[in-house]
Amino acid sequence: MSTLRRLRPWVQALAFASFCVLLIGAGKLAFLPADLFFRLDPLAALANMLAARQIVPALGVGAAITLAATLILGRVWCGWLCPLGAVLDWVPARRSKRFEPDPAPRLRQVKYFLLALIGVAALLGNLTFLILDPITLIYRTGTTAAWPGLVALISGAEALLYRAPLLQAPIDWFEGAVRGVLLPLVQPAYGLGILLALIFIGILALNAIRDRFWCRYLCPLGALLGVVSKVAWLRRKVGDVCVDCQRCARACPTGTIDPQQGFASDPAECTMCLECVPVCAQSGQSFTGHLRPAAWRPYDPSRRQFLAAASAAVVAAGLFAAEPAAIHDDPRLIRPPGAQGKTFLAQCIRCGLCVKACPTSGLRPSFDQAGWAGIWTPVLTPRLGYCDYTCTACGAICPTGAIPPLALVDKRLTVIGHAAIDRDRCLPWADNITCLVCEEMCPLPTKAIVLEDVTVSQPGGGEPLAVRRPTVLQDRCIGCGICENRCPLTGEAAIRVYAPTNLSTGG
Amino acid sequence: MPDPNDRREFIRGLLLLSAAGLAACASKPTPQPAAPTATAAQPAARPTGEARTPSAIPPAATPTLVVSRGGDPAELTRRAIAALGGIERFVKPGANVIVKPNICNAYHGPEYASTTNPNVVAAIVALCLGAGAQRVRVMDFPFAGSPQASYETSGIAAAVVAAGGQMEMMNRLKFRKTAIPQGKKLRSSNIYGDILDADVVINIPIAKNHGSAGLTLGMKNLMGVIQDRNTLHAWGLHQCIADLNTAIRPQLTVVDAYRMLMANGPTGGNLDDVKQANTVIASADGVAADAYAATLFGIQPAEIGYIKLGAELGLGTMDLSAIKIEEIAV
Repeated sequence: MSTLRRLRPWVQALAFASFCVLLIGAGKLAFLPADLFFRLDPLAALANMLAARQIVPALGVGAAITLAATLILGRVWCGWLCPLGAVLDWVPARRSKRFEPDPAPRLRQVKYFLLALIGVAALLGNLTFLILDPITLIYRTGTTAAWPGLVALISGAEALLYRAPLLQAPIDWFEGAVRGVLLPLVQPAYGLGILLALIFIGILALNAIRDRFWCRYLCPLGALLGVVSKVAWLRRKVGDVCVDCQRCARACPTGTIDPQQGFASDPAECTMCLECVPVCAQSGQSFTGHLRPAAWRPYDPSRRQFLAAASAAVVAAGLFAAEPAAIHDDPRLIRPPGAQGKTFLAQCIRCGLCVKACPTSGLRPSFDQAGWAGIWTPVLTPRLGYCDYTCTACGAICPTGAIPPLALVDKRLTVIGHAAIDRDRCLPWADNITCLVCEEMCPLPTKAIVLEDVTVSQPGGGEPLAVRRPTVLQDRCIGCGICENRCPLTGEAAIRVYAPTNLSTGG
Repeated sequence: MPDPNDRREFIRGLLLLSAAGLAACASKPTPQPAAPTATAAQPAARPTGEARTPSAIPPAATPTLVVSRGGDPAELTRRAIAALGGIERFVKPGANVIVKPNICNAYHGPEYASTTNPNVVAAIVALCLGAGAQRVRVMDFPFAGSPQASYETSGIAAAVVAAGGQMEMMNRLKFRKTAIPQGKKLRSSNIYGDILDADVVINIPIAKNHGSAGLTLGMKNLMGVIQDRNTLHAWGLHQCIADLNTAIRPQLTVVDAYRMLMANGPTGGNLDDVKQANTVIASADGVAADAYAATLFGIQPAEIGYIKLGAELGLGTMDLSAIKIEEIAV
């Protein structure tokens, strides 16, 4: 047991390193299973399948593996594999010389409430609360905050070191080998990155109140695995040799070893970290097999709590249905290619894989553009990044099929929006200056932007001017947005992509 | 009492981190470039042609421009350059050569005629290496898609590597703010440093239709070696192209008109827009090469703004009747 315990930090480090490698490689290194952690996340899988009323085998298999492992070994996921759990173990936590009982054991039921909320909302077709899933949470923070920050630091360090002539050759080599392969060509930048970083830091800071605060009280995935662990086979058992030294209770990161109950622990709260094993003065505890369910605790889920969570989900469903976004789509809400309106919201687990995979960083997590119900779902913002004509990365990486995996030929025909020219801003229209960047950039084999030669009289008199003016043919445009992205105007572009209308899609 | 060494380490780490952070902020590209102004502090571009044209003056019988027709693209290229006096006229042993084809995006393969024919590029790389060039690099800065994908889709990467050349991913750190003293509108630009420093620059455009420029040929192809390209449109694209060509003067221009893109350029994607012309044009005079290529589209050279303005700036001649042209059938 002691050997196993010494192994745990290494397993956690390996899991976290894998998580980082998969995140950095997402959309870049196609041979890596970028969605591995999401496939192993039973909460995301079950919620997705409930909400979308579909079976996703890829998700189901991974979820079954995690659930089966939990049935046998308890919450090993939380103690050994969860990347957020690993980070929480590394944050210096509040340590006390004396044993301090859990100040508010009833708070532990918050996580069950959140689990029920996610479950009932999913049953009603809503996945908004999956933003609280720990894997989506840490992945989203990695994609929108940590990775862009790291890229900026690397690029900045390169620019700084490039001033030293001796370093230029190695930096050139590094740029050639890594830029466009692992490092993005354009600096990714997400407006919500700092907010998400602050939320993440807040979760880490809660460790100052109690070790693994998130895991004890809040984590809905932990709650799901905790419920399963109530009947898990392997559990901690305290023997007769206990001398009441309290060391195990002090060492337990989730505070589930209770001196009031003979130092027994709740399998639903135990993450199988084995920290209690080496500190025991008497080798008084063992991990043995059990077949009967563990005792129910006051903080465990109750019928009343479930009803409260269900009511909350219904209230939320009502509020979400009464949002402007539910009644009228935001005209600038441009979804990834093939994503279908309302069904998309019932399939998207808010994981952020597509955001990471998008090579132009045009796909971004929404704030309130898709309503609060659609928070942190991907939206294309063409001014910041367009939908590349040769790219199918978002559909290829989406673990749930919310963004369908389109073949390139189909994706090139998939309409995600329509461009429209603002003639009061457009240089040829407003100022008689020839500028046809949008037409040049249009990637369609038969361009959706056509040029018209006109002769205009100048307002102040003088020679009539010959001007070429662009016009968008709506029936050709697929809304990729490279025109909006490259419009040379300062600030808002003079050509902008709007979401497809019912009229334009025939539906 | 904390260990003072720990503190020192911590402060050192913090300083390094903030320095890197500051550098990151400083290196952020300005989203909206201001109007171009030449300042005294910027190094002026050394026109590559003028400064480094090899002293060997071609024999009087050598034509100014060669057009080869028929045959396969590599052979067309080799014969045209041979008739121009051979690659040795341009590339001396030990030379550092940069070849600039048109690899504008990663959309379509070479049969769509939106990127330069890979066999034309490879033939030139092989000729340069045969003449004793120390290093031959091929590069472009695609306007859409990654350079890696564009190099691969165009077929140029495979052909160049097979010929012994190197594909270079253009490195954002190598762009240098460079004054363009002869420019009328474009007075300075961020130009790729290695292009400015190369011994020989060989420009290999493909002959293509282009909405705003009318045609994209050799002079327009050099827009691939600067940053902030889109703003040039607003300042007057044709004058800016001509201005840029005062700063970068390729020793040799080879226009690939093996396939020509007749409409929906510069991106293409429709085989109906591709004309099989089986033609390659070579000249040391980039204006003349573009002027001749324009006639293949049935367009008078003076109708293309940058050709006319380039001739006015003295970059070459667009009067095809005034130069010696050799046409060869392959």
